[in-house]
Amino acid sequence: MGTPAAGSPGRIPDLLVIGAGLAGLMAAQTGADAGLSVRVVAKGMGATHWAAGTVDVLGYLPTDDTPVHHPLEAVERLPEDHPYRRVGGAPRVARGLARFQELTQALKLPYVAREDGQNWWLPSPAGAPRPAYLAPQAQARGDLERKEPLLIVGFAGLRDFYPRLIAENLARQGIQARAASLPLNLLTPRRDVNTVQLARTLDRPDPVERLGRELRALARPGERIGLPAILGLERHLWTWHRLEAITEAPVFEIPTLPPSVPGIRLFQAWQRHLLAQGVRVEMGMAAIGFQAAGDRILWVETESAARPLRHRAGRFVLATGGILGGGIAAGPDGPAREVVFGLPLAVPTERRHWFRPRFLDPAGHPLFQGGVAVDPALRPVDPRTGQTIYTNLHAAGEILAGTDSIRERSLEGIALATGAAILPAAASP
Amino acid sequence: MFTTSWHSVNLTANECIKCNICTSYCPVAEVTDRFPGPKYAGPQSERFRENGQPHSPDRSVDYCSGCRVCNEVCPTGVRIAEINARARAQMVAEHGIPLRNRLLGRNELLGRLGSLAPHLANRSLHNPVSRLLAEKVMGIARHAPLPRWSETGTLHHWLRRTAAHRRRAERKVVYFHGCATQYYEPFVGQAAVLVLEHLGYQVIVPPQNCCGLPLLSNGEFEAAERYHRGNVARLAGFAWAGYPIVGTSTSCTLTLKEEAPELLDRTDSGTLALKQATWDIFEFLRERAQAGELPTDFRPLGTDAEPLVLPYHAPCQYRAHRVGKPALEILSWIPGVAVRESLARCCGIAGTYGYKAEKYTIAMDVGQELFDFVRSQGPGVRLTACDSETCRWQLEHGTGIPSRHPIEVLAAAYGLYDLEGRRPVVE
Amino acid sequence: MRTIHTEILVIGGGATGTGVAWDAALRGFRTVLVEKRDLTHGTTGRYHGLLHSGGRYAVKDPQSARECIHENRVLRRTHTHCIEDTGGFFVVTPEDADSDYPDRFQQACREVGIPCVEIPVAEALRREPLLHPRIARVFQVPDAAADSFLATHATAQAARQEGAEIRIYHEVTRLLVEGGEGDRRVVGAQVQDLVRGEPVRILADMTINAAGAWAGQVARLAGIQVSIIPGKGVMLAASHRLVNTVINRCKMPSDGDIIVPIHTVAVIGTTDVKVADPEHLAIEPWEVRYMLEEADKLVPGFSRTRILRAWAGVRPLYQENAQGMESRDVTRALALLDHRERDGVAGFLTITGGKWTTFRLMAEKTLDRACAHLGVERPCRTAEIPVPGREQGPYWLGHRLHEVETAQLQGELVCECELVTRDMLVQAARFNPTVTLDDLRRDVRLGMGPCQGGFCTYRAVGILHELANEPPEAPTGDAQAWEVAHLQSPRQAARTPTPDKRSPSSAPRPRPSPVLERTHPMANPNLLLRDFLQERWKGVLPILWGQQLKQERLDQLLYLSLMNVDHLPDPELVSPMSDFYTRIPTAETEG
Repeated sequence: MGTPAAGSPGRIPDLLVIGAGLAGLMAAQTGADAGLSVRVVAKGMGATHWAAGTVDVLGYLPTDDTPVHHPLEAVERLPEDHPYRRVGGAPRVARGLARFQELTQALKLPYVAREDGQNWWLPSPAGAPRPAYLAPQAQARGDLERKEPLLIVGFAGLRDFYPRLIAENLARQGIQARAASLPLNLLTPRRDVNTVQLARTLDRPDPVERLGRELRALARPGERIGLPAILGLERHLWTWHRLEAITEAPVFEIPTLPPSVPGIRLFQAWQRHLLAQGVRVEMGMAAIGFQAAGDRILWVETESAARPLRHRAGRFVLATGGILGGGIAAGPDGPAREVVFGLPLAVPTERRHWFRPRFLDPAGHPLFQGGVAVDPALRPVDPRTGQTIYTNLHAAGEILAGTDSIRERSLEGIALATGAAILPAAASP
Repeated sequence: MFTTSWHSVNLTANECIKCNICTSYCPVAEVTDRFPGPKYAGPQSERFRENGQPHSPDRSVDYCSGCRVCNEVCPTGVRIAEINARARAQMVAEHGIPLRNRLLGRNELLGRLGSLAPHLANRSLHNPVSRLLAEKVMGIARHAPLPRWSETGTLHHWLRRTAAHRRRAERKVVYFHGCATQYYEPFVGQAAVLVLEHLGYQVIVPPQNCCGLPLLSNGEFEAAERYHRGNVARLAGFAWAGYPIVGTSTSCTLTLKEEAPELLDRTDSGTLALKQATWDIFEFLRERAQAGELPTDFRPLGTDAEPLVLPYHAPCQYRAHRVGKPALEILSWIPGVAVRESLARCCGIAGTYGYKAEKYTIAMDVGQELFDFVRSQGPGVRLTACDSETCRWQLEHGTGIPSRHPIEVLAAAYGLYDLEGRRPVVE
Repeated sequence: MRTIHTEILVIGGGATGTGVAWDAALRGFRTVLVEKRDLTHGTTGRYHGLLHSGGRYAVKDPQSARECIHENRVLRRTHTHCIEDTGGFFVVTPEDADSDYPDRFQQACREVGIPCVEIPVAEALRREPLLHPRIARVFQVPDAAADSFLATHATAQAARQEGAEIRIYHEVTRLLVEGGEGDRRVVGAQVQDLVRGEPVRILADMTINAAGAWAGQVARLAGIQVSIIPGKGVMLAASHRLVNTVINRCKMPSDGDIIVPIHTVAVIGTTDVKVADPEHLAIEPWEVRYMLEEADKLVPGFSRTRILRAWAGVRPLYQENAQGMESRDVTRALALLDHRERDGVAGFLTITGGKWTTFRLMAEKTLDRACAHLGVERPCRTAEIPVPGREQGPYWLGHRLHEVETAQLQGELVCECELVTRDMLVQAARFNPTVTLDDLRRDVRLGMGPCQGGFCTYRAVGILHELANEPPEAPTGDAQAWEVAHLQSPRQAARTPTPDKRSPSSAPRPRPSPVLERTHPMANPNLLLRDFLQERWKGVLPILWGQQLKQERLDQLLYLSLMNVDHLPDPELVSPMSDFYTRIPTAETEG
């Protein structure tokens, strides 16, 4: 009987991340950057697959819905329990974003910020300008503060994109825009396709050439061409550059209803990048339990076909998301609960205080502002006493209390800033 | 919805939030309009199904290959593939089942019959005329990678022949070999037995049935249930006695663990005991490794300069165990082996799916992602590795490169097995 | 002011009003119907969808029961495609096991003429595995599920084809009363066209108040006191059919004792609470809890399954001198008020009370009386003549899926949950005047599935916006030629040539519906979007937990983070429905 070889599973990883959204991936990356051995387990795909694929840092102030132009400057105007303030304010947020931006260079999916540190205002699929701090290059090309007129091109029969709606709404906000539509069979003979399947089609040269020729014929000199975000999945940059070359016009992407092609591109590229660093992201593994000794988590259990699977680790990161991601659940009776560790939540206990009568209420809904309260090291605390609960458990992303990130448009910003802050500056492997 | 009880997997349809992530990852929906996607066929159509309708309202669910990629990526935990399997069973119950599917579902019977005269069986089946005929008459795709019967006897023959050499020990495991190992690839079972014995176990190989998966996939639930009951009767006793039941066929072990209980709505104590005692062999070996009990007396299978480059594909049915990729982890400690992990979704064959004439092309299109991955590893690749037999046959068919079960690789690394010739080097 | 002359003016576009218009038109009267919202906006569109066998009333209200079983048989003939023959069970739950009600029930059914067969419990459990396993007895009756949206559309279309004019979003502002004390007469009404914002005068020989729970308010416009007790009933829909048979609790009718499998959902209903205002109904937490508790007594586990939505309707309960009665104790029989006899006001009838199942009978009795007033003898024909669409045969759950599959329309689905195709949506919008997406919801079930409009709201707005932007010369629909049954049929909607597919010569006469008029405020896509999001939110608010809570959070991600719809142009615009969707009353009563 020999002893386990080095790098064998007998060795306990330094860090186990639960959740594979942006917060989980960033936490895993941060661990890997610090030389830790890291493993990621997730129930399924995360919010990257639903969202626009930009990094929204802060679009509107949570207090009064005022548009934010300089998100990092606005951080200090946020309440003290806001995750940005918890991780140490603007400098720490900026650090996480910078690491992400650097990483996207390596992933060959560069995310760009405006030079003046302001938010981009980019066309939404309904034709509203949406505030984003970092955007994939192909979305940033749709910058609505630039003056070149827009030609929004859709595909007849593609149910998740309506160029006319976008163009007309933009035009009514003083942005020069018009719409055009191309037949879907230009790209594929299929009768039933979604955006991701179309994006895979546009990884291939022929459809790209055909599309490019049609667009070139449609566009007037000086126009920028806006398309649904389907410009390639694996070879996005190639597809995008090729279309700009054929059309001799700036081409940009507008995000669509889920599934999000830009989000999936990012997820897949990042997953491969982590794998190359020895970090495996395992899907279909739902965390269902744990074992602690005193104030330390010993292991987390994930559900499997026959019996719970134990994952021991030195540290754990809870990045299971909020209500949408499934990190927080609420039944017909009783309070909302955190599903893996049963952490106490900072949310109104009574259901009648959870929601406001208007769906689009600028003040948001109190339940969605709640979550797991944390100490400055992002370790969950009891919201009543402020006591840290486990010393080797950190929480990141949408699960955190202190704000409604969807309401204030900070979903990705909080995920990256907190995911990058799970290791205290002094922590070493 | 065919809701028979509150335990029913069908009820997981309620978890669906319609995000279509599953549709985006579904390898079948990507290559054909015939399958509109897991969400459509599963949780969505489920709301329109009930017993005794004038027609069973949908047929496209028959094009679900059952690969379970949808389950894997679903963010909310819908058991989509199982919902589809049940819908297919309902279709079979109402419309009957083609003879071809009946045949393909009866792997065990085919295996046993062919093994009576394997030379003859191979010669009669594996020739262009028979295959053409099988396609025309039966709808079995003529190019599909059907296996060959073992011409050196079944696994049980070998076990009997080498009974004197088999290890006796205090610690025992039960080996579930499955039909493919028994009749087509006994050498996989030989490798498994040798490795388990190398760990110090006595390996018990009791009589056993087909796990029933081919029948479940083809919608013959009643016949599957008979097989499953047979296995419970033969194996639950070992489970109760505390013996791990270890298998090399990932789909068989998945069926014992989960598919049979869930799809057949079986909650009896025997089923439960069998479920909880069943292990994929590498899942079991990883546990042993974590306990410090896995021997590391590996022989290098290559050199640092010229390692054995081994593209490894964890089959869908393996990923559906939700235990990670233990085979990959263990193979990666073998010196001189450079394991290259495939992130391809599916090889396409999906059990018996790719054998069907109308689905053969779909299966090959689905597998393209995997074949491309293997090719991208360079011309020096001599072998690939994959835990499931039908996937290996498809992988060989699609790439022209021989494929091995990881247990064969491990057995070779322990010096027990000839990886090229696929035979034990010890008794 | 524009003036219209007609013989019969019907006020109210629910089942009763459209039934009256149909009957009137079939008897050869020139008929105009006005409805202040969309058809079925009131009680008709807010009930659980039960076609009564009469069993529920057999013991307590035999007259109602007789009416029900009679109409049950008639409607299966005339409105075949709107009815699913689910059958119904009356089950004796463990709570009710000691009661003598079951025997009385069986006896009463016999007396009233309702086919009622006791079946073995094991047989019932085999057919409905989720039923309470310890039920003591089961009686089978010919209950059924009815699509009140489609049935009302079909009835209205039948009326149209007989020459009736159906005007929705026309609200009565005045009843035109002539004559003095003792010799007063209603000669018509002034109505406000809410979409065009203009008044219209409608002069009629006979005005029929079929405004249901609003009938008291309408009568008051003629100075007549009609006391309607609006009896609020709260209902919850489970996200799929937990049962395929109507399940009634075999006991004296009470709250939360019926589960109706209707289309893709199972509805538990209802509470019964007297309210002051039939328009804005609070759904209170105790009502939701109570419905779930009661549902669990029939189908244990109901409360743990996904609940899609909650809504409330009002029963139009009428009883002379009904002061102080509990609303459940008021008869559910129909009430026809002849205001000439009752109040000395001629030319005016009120038809109220009753229930969906008896709407045709209510119309028949009303027109019989109207004929007597007008001095003509014209027999009722509504029991013999089927409404358009009947040829489709009885409804069955899987038919949409079956049609989508056979015609390969998967790529055309706009509302994926309820299998609504682009063509269904376009046709409904073209042929049927549409002010809000909620109107289209009632037409084709848009947004009625588990995601509650999460994905289809945006798609529908995009499609309607494209439609509104088609060149003005493109002909739109002719309401009379409209194949109303195709609202529910993906295959037929795809086959029916929409006007742009026809050659110009065969194109129908243009009659643009409001949403298609480019200059019209309702053509604003942002308003359509906001209105429908709010409308759906209103219905999920009382049941936001579990999966539905997650779903709503996804909707927030889509409409806030992805689309930024709260920062689209024209935030100040409102539709005639905006206020209705936004007003969410709370706590009026204690449970």
